[in-house]
Amino acid sequence: MSAVPKQHPSQEVLLSIRDVKKHYPIRDGALQRVVGSVRAVDGVSFDIRRGETVGLVGESGCGKTTLGRVISGLSDPTGGGVLYNLGQIGLQSVDGLQDNAARLFRRNCQMVFQDSFASLNPRHLVVDIVGRPLKVYKEASGSALTEKVVELLEQVGLGRQHLYRYPHQFSGGQRQRISIARALALDPEIIVLDEPTSALDVSVQAQILNLLNDLQKERNLAYLFITHDLSVVRHMADRLVVMYLGKVSEAGVASEVFQAPHHPYTKALMDSKPDLHEDRSETHTRGLGGIVPDPARPPQGCRFHTRCQSATPSCGWEVDDVIGLLEENQGIFEFMNGVERKSAFEAELSFDSEESAGLLAVALRSEQAPEAMKKALNRLQLNGNRVNLSFNQVDEVPLIQRAGGRESSCLLDPDEISIQGM
Amino acid sequence: MFDDKQTPQTQEGTKFSSVASVRDLKVHFKAKRGVVHAVDGVSFEIRDGETLGLVGETGCGKSVTGRSFLRLLPVPPGILAGGSVRFKPQAACVGCNGAGCDFCAGAGRAATGEQQVDLLKISDEQMRRIRGDRIAMIFQDPGKALNPTMTIGAQVSEVFLQHRSKDLLKKAGLRADIGGCVGRFAHQEPRFGDGILLRVPPNRENRKRVQKALNAMVASALADTQVPNPVKLMDRFPHELSGGMRQRVMIAQALACNPDLLIADEPTTALDVTVEARILDLIRDLQQRRKTSVLYISHDLSLVRRICDRVAVMYAGRIVEIGPSEEVFRNPRHPYTRGLIAAVPAAGIPRGQLAAIRGSVPELIDPPAACRFSGRCLYETSACRKHDPVLYNVSEGHSVACFIDHAAPSGDQPKYEKETS
Repeated sequence: MSAVPKQHPSQEVLLSIRDVKKHYPIRDGALQRVVGSVRAVDGVSFDIRRGETVGLVGESGCGKTTLGRVISGLSDPTGGGVLYNLGQIGLQSVDGLQDNAARLFRRNCQMVFQDSFASLNPRHLVVDIVGRPLKVYKEASGSALTEKVVELLEQVGLGRQHLYRYPHQFSGGQRQRISIARALALDPEIIVLDEPTSALDVSVQAQILNLLNDLQKERNLAYLFITHDLSVVRHMADRLVVMYLGKVSEAGVASEVFQAPHHPYTKALMDSKPDLHEDRSETHTRGLGGIVPDPARPPQGCRFHTRCQSATPSCGWEVDDVIGLLEENQGIFEFMNGVERKSAFEAELSFDSEESAGLLAVALRSEQAPEAMKKALNRLQLNGNRVNLSFNQVDEVPLIQRAGGRESSCLLDPDEISIQGM
Repeated sequence: MFDDKQTPQTQEGTKFSSVASVRDLKVHFKAKRGVVHAVDGVSFEIRDGETLGLVGETGCGKSVTGRSFLRLLPVPPGILAGGSVRFKPQAACVGCNGAGCDFCAGAGRAATGEQQVDLLKISDEQMRRIRGDRIAMIFQDPGKALNPTMTIGAQVSEVFLQHRSKDLLKKAGLRADIGGCVGRFAHQEPRFGDGILLRVPPNRENRKRVQKALNAMVASALADTQVPNPVKLMDRFPHELSGGMRQRVMIAQALACNPDLLIADEPTTALDVTVEARILDLIRDLQQRRKTSVLYISHDLSLVRRICDRVAVMYAGRIVEIGPSEEVFRNPRHPYTRGLIAAVPAAGIPRGQLAAIRGSVPELIDPPAACRFSGRCLYETSACRKHDPVLYNVSEGHSVACFIDHAAPSGDQPKYEKETS
């Protein structure tokens, strides 16, 4: 592996995301007690340097938007925090910032939302929308404000004639330009772009991406580019963070990650969307089976093992995987009475009859069960109409440092993954 | 290079038999400011067993074209201003049941002998019989297209109750022309009091038998789309399922009656890429097994290139280019197609240098007689603003509506600076 190429304009860390967690409580019962929590973001760490673009990708529901909102201060993290570079004092937690420092962070970190219909107030004129941050921060007023707004609009490809119009009078691409102008108003250091182009057509998307790039060059902006579109992120990002179920599954320099993904999930993502410019005969696409697990009860070990094609016995197989397998099987799940868990890896399943308990044992040994799961199964004991199961206890797979400054949360050797299925 | 430059595109129907052909379809919408020409003279054919991709940007009229096959357009404000959608119903070949044999020349389908019908002119009753049976549709958002108050089983059942009542009664071991409340139950035509009658023997037993046969049919339809444990799925409600699973239910519903033509209106836009790949495989697999023709509407070029045999590019209510998919993507002739393909971010394009198409889509209110793409086109000449190009053949099966490949009636002709080979 070669050393990290010096692609970044600067190595100065602007924002540091440290072990950010965002859990949403699940309430149930007459008293609305908290019975659990949806772990939307569950311990994510990475840095954003001045002037660079960090791409944040993942499937829907992986927590990328939630993370974006936490970073821009729109919602408070449950644990961990965002550190902001305040110049002389160095990195400071955003949570603890007071008065001036807090205002400084807020004006320096702006956001552009996906849905420009919902994020622009339909009752306000463009001049009010774009001028509002300037008014709030007392940057300008009166005719100076109008002139400043015109200047901003011209930067994003609109003009004076658009000042006194309402958002509904614009097309999708133009509305997104207004959102960008609003974000630029206070000359921020970083903009969180939450799927800025996913509601747009390709030709308009190209316009907006070009615009974002020009602005970045002009103002040395840092972007956190949240998207699910890999072709866009490949075009835009210097560094890439891939999220799965609230955790980072892989991080590294974008071009290197695209060349040789170190995590099976990243590889699956890339395989499922071929490049338009490749020939049909050369493309091989393979989606992912299964569904995204419930983030309220994320899988043990590696969170991706339930859908992973290269899963090993030590990837964290557990009782829930067996139950998931039963659900897919007709004629066994219906006869199950209950599950008595001793831990996530050990449980006793009780059935209506010995027969169906036997069927379970057959199903677990059949082709249907993944090979790795069969190997991971420590004990399978038939006891009348009860079945005792136990798996090897496995700790959560941490983000492992790899060569070339890359990180991935997969137990397998990176080379093995890039070879597989090629 | 092109000998037949000056001859207008001839109808290709002679070489390939087609399941449906659209001729000069015009769908307009009445708006406050005038009449919006959403679809303005679209002609194409869907050949037997092929996947035809219909691509274009938002508002180019691709969904309206798709919906006009099933007459799912609101009229008014919609106006069917002209043209025809001819459809020839076919059925799975009796000899081989879709596998392909000598009798049907390997096509797996044979004409039923029914005459071609114009879908825009037939009666509502006839349309109802074709809709869901001979032509089916998959919608973009399965969360909205499925009824949230009905179980999956009940929703898929409806297709069979509407179109396959006779088979159903036969499978239940009853006379196909059985009347009374059981017959009405199997035809989904309940009357007042049927609820009570169905609880009285012997109706109760018969109803149970019908229900059992129905459940078996639904389960097999669902099993075709590779859902795990279809019997259990039937008791679930749409909100309990993931997006990919809902789309599988939609596909099961659409393909339940083995239609001749499937209209897929952006079936994977609401799904994640990983799920999208699976759903596409499924549609492709089912289509090849059943020899169904598919009209695939999408804005995603890479996806269309992957799954479609032929592709039609729409812009502002017109088809600007149509041809075999590989041909169109490798050697696009229309400046708009070129622009679209170049606008997709790809590996190797330096950042910030995407080839965006300048300007935006024109309003379609009473458009002038000029090329619709003029004003945004890089190669535009004065002729483009005076004359309206029509589709001309540039090579075998590949037609383009641009003066670049055939001279305009007067004036100068636009040219590419660099010709692609």
